[in-house]
Amino acid sequence: MHNQAHKLYEELGELARFVESAMAAISEVSPQIMSSTTQLPTAASHLSDLSKMTEDGALEVMRLTEMLQESHGQAVKELSAVVETLRAMDCTTLVGRLEKVTSALAQDDKHLTEIMTTLSFQDLVAQRVKKLVTILNEVQGKLMELVVVFGLQQNNRASTDSGTAGELLKQLEESKTTAMQQKVADDILAQFGFK
Amino acid sequence: MPADSNMKILVVDDMVTMRRIVKNILKQLGFANVEEAENGQEALQKLRADTYGFVVSDWNMPVMTGIDMLRAIRADEKLKSTPVLMVTAEAQQSNLVEAVQAGVSNYIVKPFTAETMQEKIGKIFK
Repeated sequence: MHNQAHKLYEELGELARFVESAMAAISEVSPQIMSSTTQLPTAASHLSDLSKMTEDGALEVMRLTEMLQESHGQAVKELSAVVETLRAMDCTTLVGRLEKVTSALAQDDKHLTEIMTTLSFQDLVAQRVKKLVTILNEVQGKLMELVVVFGLQQNNRASTDSGTAGELLKQLEESKTTAMQQKVADDILAQFGFK
Repeated sequence: MPADSNMKILVVDDMVTMRRIVKNILKQLGFANVEEAENGQEALQKLRADTYGFVVSDWNMPVMTGIDMLRAIRADEKLKSTPVLMVTAEAQQSNLVEAVQAGVSNYIVKPFTAETMQEKIGKIFK
């Protein structure tokens, strides 16, 4: 009986030491956990920005491609009319040359359509970004649970600024606020005499 | 029955870039009468309010997914014979099986080419 109680006492002591060391370990990483928790919404926001930027870029390329397709269509119509006139005048050499031009334009049209379809990469990027944002939100939820369960001390200022991730996010934030539209830059350059 | 180039086509996708790409390809294939919807629910409203010859739809969309829209179309007496072409990044076999079971007319995996779309439309209206 006495031996059993002694064994139980030892096991409880071991368990207490394990809990204490686990708490110490968690406490040691608490600044990083807090840092990650506070940085995740910003990281998610940057990912969403990435999605928007690729969308804007793709739409601009599409607008230009559609303009080229439109002008190609007009050129082909005009060329067909000229070819018909020349054919009536029996100018076979000129008709042959213009038909070559029409054929080259048709080939270009094929390439323009390929440019349009290639831009579907943006949709695939956006879908992956959406999934990553969902994962980040889930991870943030789990980290918050950890913070609540273990009552980790908050030290937002110190933790947010610490670590490589914090530094990178800080740089991204700064790049966001220092990014300049070309028009604004041109206006400023113009004030300094640039033309 | 060859595809009527005057028929009204509905392109359903939450991404503006994809709607524009599909619309552009359809135009190159001779279909100029194309309308757009951002999700399955909006598409169903349009389909019930007008007559469309053909639907091109994405799978993953907010509010109502493409597969749910497809099931609703097939369950609707007026719409059930409307051809539906799914254009999606969902390349898993289970998704394709689900779409076939729901009554999809054909299935294109992103990224795709204009030739693929032409081929699939040709098969639907053969």
